[in-house]
Amino acid sequence: MPFDAMNDTPDEALLVLYANGDPDAAKALMMRLTPRVLGYATRLLSDRAEAEDVAQEAMLRLWKIAPDWRQGEAKVSTWLYRVVTNLCTDRLRKKRGVGLDEVAEPEDGRASVAQGMIENERALALRAALETLPERQRQAVILRHIEGVANPEIAQLMDISVEAVESLTARGKRALTAALADRRKDLGYRDD
Amino acid sequence: MTENDKLATGDDGLEAYFEAARADTPVPSTELLGRIMADAATQSAARDDSLRQVTVLRQGIFSSLIEAIGGWPTLAGMATAGVVGVWIGFSQPAGLDTVAEQLIGADNTSYLVDLVPAFGSEFEEG
Repeated sequence: MPFDAMNDTPDEALLVLYANGDPDAAKALMMRLTPRVLGYATRLLSDRAEAEDVAQEAMLRLWKIAPDWRQGEAKVSTWLYRVVTNLCTDRLRKKRGVGLDEVAEPEDGRASVAQGMIENERALALRAALETLPERQRQAVILRHIEGVANPEIAQLMDISVEAVESLTARGKRALTAALADRRKDLGYRDD
Repeated sequence: MTENDKLATGDDGLEAYFEAARADTPVPSTELLGRIMADAATQSAARDDSLRQVTVLRQGIFSSLIEAIGGWPTLAGMATAGVVGVWIGFSQPAGLDTVAEQLIGADNTSYLVDLVPAFGSEFEEG
């Protein structure tokens, strides 16, 4: 199947095609999934180089499992998010205590004029605030509100109930709101 | 609206941050994509190799068995002999009697030869 014709092909079908030796299917899967994998890993690790290593490792595991993929059990993206979560958790546990100091802090006084800069500052502020959350809350909030993964899928990949996911995201958002409160005015918000 | 009001109404003010984070999604570098594609090709090639080895191994065992008994012609001969043997065993061709008569004569009658004729009497005597 030509590469261009694979845009509408489901992830699972592409994986089967790759397992049967179709290199175009691998390319289509890679182009579709790598940005999501890399984005999620970057948000969890706050380290681009490490996130790239995790993204490569996660995709490598996908290539390896392709021939044994059990269709209909889980979405490919859900499976990948789980792999990335585990890989990032391992890395964070190894360097626990170092990560917080390495997070890029938004510089005071730079905010406001151009909207693009505000957006950038918001993203940086959120990243710093996310770093203050407990690990599971951070994962759940990122998956739900940034990656856009549905609660049942998050429950599946985190091995918890949907209610537990809702609880994690609710507590996470409250903590984020508190952590961001001090920066809100600088980042274009007003309590009016 | 205060922070507490926003939380109470469900507008916690975080959506703008999440939106900014979504817009800030990193773009995979060409180098990373190259590494991932190379991994895919390596895994695919490794699978092909292992499949080929299994096929060769299966062919090897079967071929060795055939060679040990002299190849396909011998196998065909053995199969034919087997079928003929079964056929003879079931049908008992009449032609065999004719051959036997010519060899040993039609007048000769078969009889039992008692190789230990006195055994019965010795047994009775005790």
